[in-house]
Amino acid sequence: MKNALEKFLKIDRRLIFLALTVLLFAPIVRPLGLPNKNLGKDVVNVYNYIENLPERSFVMLSLDYDPATRPELHPQAVALIKHALRRNLRVGIFTLNAGATGMIEDIAARIPSDIAPDKVYGRDYVIMPFQPNPVAVMTQLGINIYEIYDKDRNGNPTKDMEVMKGVKSVKDMGLGICITGTAMLDYYVAYVADKYKFPMAGGVTAVSQPGYGPYLQTGQLKGLIGGMKGAADYETLIKDLEKGTSGIDALSLAHVLVIVLIVTSNIIMLVLKYL
Amino acid sequence: MIFIKKHIPLFICFFVGVLTLGSYYVPNARSENYLEMMNKWENIVAGFAFLLGLMSLFYSHFHKISRKAPGWGYSLFVYVGFLLVVVPAIVSNGQPMSLTNEMTSLGWIYRFVFTSLSGTMFAVLAFYIVSTAYRAFRIKSPQAFVLFAAAFIVILGRVPLGQMMWDGLLGWTGYQVTDVIEWLMSVPVVAGRRGIMIGIAIGGIVTALKIIFGIERQYMGKD
Amino acid sequence: MEFLGNIWNSFAALFTVTPGWMTFGGWVAAGLTICLFSFLYKDNPFFKVAEHLYLGAGMGWLFQVYLFQTWKPKVFLPLMEGQYSVLIPTLLGLSLVTQFFPRISWISRYGFTFIMGYGSGLVIPLTISTDFLKQIGGTIAPFMVSEINSGNIMSLLNGTFVAFGFICVLFYFFFSVEHKGAVKKASNIGIYFLMLYFGAAFGNTVMGRFSLLYGRFDDLYKYSAPDYFYATHVVLGLLVAYFILDKLVLSRRGGGQEAH
Repeated sequence: MKNALEKFLKIDRRLIFLALTVLLFAPIVRPLGLPNKNLGKDVVNVYNYIENLPERSFVMLSLDYDPATRPELHPQAVALIKHALRRNLRVGIFTLNAGATGMIEDIAARIPSDIAPDKVYGRDYVIMPFQPNPVAVMTQLGINIYEIYDKDRNGNPTKDMEVMKGVKSVKDMGLGICITGTAMLDYYVAYVADKYKFPMAGGVTAVSQPGYGPYLQTGQLKGLIGGMKGAADYETLIKDLEKGTSGIDALSLAHVLVIVLIVTSNIIMLVLKYL
Repeated sequence: MIFIKKHIPLFICFFVGVLTLGSYYVPNARSENYLEMMNKWENIVAGFAFLLGLMSLFYSHFHKISRKAPGWGYSLFVYVGFLLVVVPAIVSNGQPMSLTNEMTSLGWIYRFVFTSLSGTMFAVLAFYIVSTAYRAFRIKSPQAFVLFAAAFIVILGRVPLGQMMWDGLLGWTGYQVTDVIEWLMSVPVVAGRRGIMIGIAIGGIVTALKIIFGIERQYMGKD
Repeated sequence: MEFLGNIWNSFAALFTVTPGWMTFGGWVAAGLTICLFSFLYKDNPFFKVAEHLYLGAGMGWLFQVYLFQTWKPKVFLPLMEGQYSVLIPTLLGLSLVTQFFPRISWISRYGFTFIMGYGSGLVIPLTISTDFLKQIGGTIAPFMVSEINSGNIMSLLNGTFVAFGFICVLFYFFFSVEHKGAVKKASNIGIYFLMLYFGAAFGNTVMGRFSLLYGRFDDLYKYSAPDYFYATHVVLGLLVAYFILDKLVLSRRGGGQEAH
């Protein structure tokens, strides 16, 4: 018995990899369809903030993630854009991460097709080009955004666009949301939210989420959407279930596997200790 | 000569550092213009800093190929990968989508090559997390148990199956698992995180001041 | 010039994305993904090729970003228009490249000191206001008279718990005083708060990584469809066949390494 348990404890890790693969792949092929009931308070705060913004307020959406964090953050971005456009708010899509340009193009193609077909580019939303040197850009956002964003991503002048009417800096905007897998949100909090007293919310990966607790408590962030669960919660709130919801459905079995493995290995270790 | 090689660069560091630090706190048009100019300059210099890394990478792989070191054939693929992205980028003028909203060759490379490679590289870590959790996560002390308890609540509480399990076993307490996670994230985790943030902040400020005043000079290399 | 232009146009026409290329793209994506995952079974040439391709492609991506977002619009075009002030940062940037030539590598100090001075100058206000003052303010906020008067007992209790834990964690990190007596007790309590933080961080890390893995598997599932001519199945099958052949060849030769 002791030998069997020791062997089990030293099991070939490739079998563990196989178990994870099967448990994560199976719900993709055949979804479990589990309901997402318990919504995070910080996600609800973001939703409520947008719900309470006056119509035609300008929302700055800074999409600063790359393909590596796409599964967690792209569903958040899509859900936020859907909500903002359907609430008849003006949306400006910015990016300070070169890797995000491809995913912004995906969103740009989807807005006229399924996200908000009645919205017009230049009147209801605008997509700005990628700009390097985030801190320089953020400092400029609080002074005069046209110094950096004088043209949109297609090269059209932005100053006279209907969507930019009355907007010269972040002080004229209703809310800023940064969706990122890096420390970009920290920079936004320091260089935009704190400096210009501009309301900011964030969308981050599950890995980074615990680090933003202090900002939420101090009110530096109005709300936070964390990981795929946050995206699923937001999709539930806007009643439009998509990749976020199907994602956490698939993750259920994998999460249970991790817990079962940790508990099993510790029980075996305890049993071996007393055998 | 030492004046040009050492003292002037240190003075540049001090001058730029102090002016930049001061301009954050001085609400004056001149300081804002200075900051704007410095931001643009930093933008340009950072672009050239990347060139340094690129040349270093190419040099080391070229060296491997020229010496026919073991595995030199794979080094060729570094150049292949580089050209695979740069040539379509130049042809497409740096645009992933054309003006008529059609995918360009750069967009194709981004979607099918770059996304796959970069996403998979990060995703592979998931497997190692699971196998390491099984092999190395040993609860041998009260502190380790506390760590496991927090991880247990967060891992299970964030997925529907875990929420259902919690409701089934502990639903009678009247508390949802998300309530517990929220309390965990907004109270003890904040306390721990704040302590770490302050420690890092103090270290960062001290290091930045040492750099500005020229006490920390490792980045300049050998004299 | 027109001749060169025509050659360039003919060359550029080869890079038009057609529906066939989209299907081929699915094969490329599935192939690269599975090649990278193959390392989980055993180190192999396909993984090494994909790994080196990633290195080159990653650098290529950044190169084209800097080319079209920095060098062309902020250096080349302003210089063509006669704005010679961009020469200063350009020269500072180019000075960095002298790192490779030992005799003149001291010139790179000009570029480095500019970057370090600017970065250090910016990081101080960032950390003071956001990571320092605001966090201390956030810890004290629940004890303000207006908050206490509002009568929210839970908020006060939570605030006390946070402040207590925060101070204990600071005691843990304070190494200038020997950890004994009351300091040791406080620092031990601080460790428990840190364990709670690390446990929550581990839980979120697990979720984050699994989300990425889900994303890759979702793509592989998409590329296994008939639209893409079952790309995932074919690539996976070929790789399995390679490993079987490899094992047969190795077992005949004897020896070989397996990654455990």
